[in-house]
Amino acid sequence: MRFLLALLLAVATQAAAFTDAEVRAIASHGPWPPAFRADPSNRVSGNPQAIDLGERLFFERRLSADGEQSCSRCHLPERNWTDGEQRARGIALVDRNTPSLSNVRLQRWFGWDGAHDSLWSQAIRPILDAKEMGSSAARVAQLLREDADLSCRYRKAFGAPAGSDEKVLVDAVKAIAAFQETMMSGRSAFDDFRDALVKGDKAGVAKYPETARRGLALFIGKGSCNTCHVGSAFTNGEFHDTGIPFFIEPGRVDPGRSGGIKKLLADRFNLLGPYNDDPKRTTATSTRHVVPEHRNFGEFKVPSLRNLALTAPYMHNGRLATLRDVVDHYSNISPDRLHSDGEAILKPLKLSAGESRDLVAFLESLQDEGANYRRVGFAQDCK
Amino acid sequence: MKRWLLLVLLAPAAQACELPGGPAQSIQSANVAIAYRTAPLRVGEHFAVEFAVCPAPASVTVDAWMPDHRHGMNYKPTIASLGGGRYRAEGLMFHMPGRWEFVFDVRAGGRTERLLKSVRIE
Repeated sequence: MRFLLALLLAVATQAAAFTDAEVRAIASHGPWPPAFRADPSNRVSGNPQAIDLGERLFFERRLSADGEQSCSRCHLPERNWTDGEQRARGIALVDRNTPSLSNVRLQRWFGWDGAHDSLWSQAIRPILDAKEMGSSAARVAQLLREDADLSCRYRKAFGAPAGSDEKVLVDAVKAIAAFQETMMSGRSAFDDFRDALVKGDKAGVAKYPETARRGLALFIGKGSCNTCHVGSAFTNGEFHDTGIPFFIEPGRVDPGRSGGIKKLLADRFNLLGPYNDDPKRTTATSTRHVVPEHRNFGEFKVPSLRNLALTAPYMHNGRLATLRDVVDHYSNISPDRLHSDGEAILKPLKLSAGESRDLVAFLESLQDEGANYRRVGFAQDCK
Repeated sequence: MKRWLLLVLLAPAAQACELPGGPAQSIQSANVAIAYRTAPLRVGEHFAVEFAVCPAPASVTVDAWMPDHRHGMNYKPTIASLGGGRYRAEGLMFHMPGRWEFVFDVRAGGRTERLLKSVRIE
């Protein structure tokens, strides 16, 4: 009996052992959560009055042309700020899957194609897009000027709604962005494991399920998933072709990042434009230096993996229904389907069934533990 | 081309090159020497490169790529001359961990010489 226990302990210790390089790789995915840093391009970033207004606008259907759409129509709190649909549907069917807003403030580019360089400028697109909310600057400004409660909250955040309709629209999306900055996921089983590993806390390390630990070893080893899914948010924030077909329907393609860069550079709301509240343009470096490349066609943004289990279906067009489907995609990916100008990043992982289960177990361990959003305070009148 | 490049990399420096302000990395060929300095490199964060080219060239560009992945950066650096063969390049970003290679193309005496420096980022 004593021999058996010693043997089991030895096996467990062996399984738990990571090399120094692996420990460094694992440590690079934390700590979590990161400290808040205000967005200098948004003068109300972190402002409680703006967060309050932005929360109300996020759920406000009167912003939309048909009075039925809102940001929350597709970004549902209980689904980790996505909708569970293959492709989003606003006033009409949209071309892409609804991305999660969880931890969105940590991103560099916004949208699957990165057509926007700030959280607030990204929020303008769905409000004005005919397929999503179909609204206008005039409609948004009118609501904020004429609705007594919203107008009061606008004054508290920004002062009187003065200036053009477009200026009021930009203020409105900056308030929405201030609210979106609060959408941070909580700590996960992986975070507890990662911190225990860094501290040398063997008891803490031992609490992490063995299947997830094997999956993590694949993630940073054979799978090289951490080539693109880097850092505490598990994304490098950039764009890659992962072999997902980019035909939206016969005869119509989604250009992905290629189209995103063109839209970004033509966008008067980008960080080089007049609505950036930071005179030094300190967060505009990426916009200033980004260059279109032929390989950008069909590239889409690398998503964060935190709370991934809550955001099915997956990929830019929602083509893959489950996490297992995603793992199988990378296991069997055909390099011939990649459109990447000779890049040599992806190759079929050829995972066994057990390895695939382990990788899924690791991805599921990135889910936080019950830190769901609760709407509060909406009954109070603004005075 | 590869053989020529190898000769450039292995050849002794024409002269030492100094970059005032602290420790610097160096690259050299028979004709050109470069001293450069960056802040600590982190995946997915923009950084600048300060460098000196000796002797001062007609012009210089700096870029970087991942030889194993066969792709470059997603951002095009801008270079400002600080005078006396010193430069500052801004807007670079290594968006993946692994081995990257700085590529300096130095134009002098009617020809362009390429100097490479390999760096690894975790």
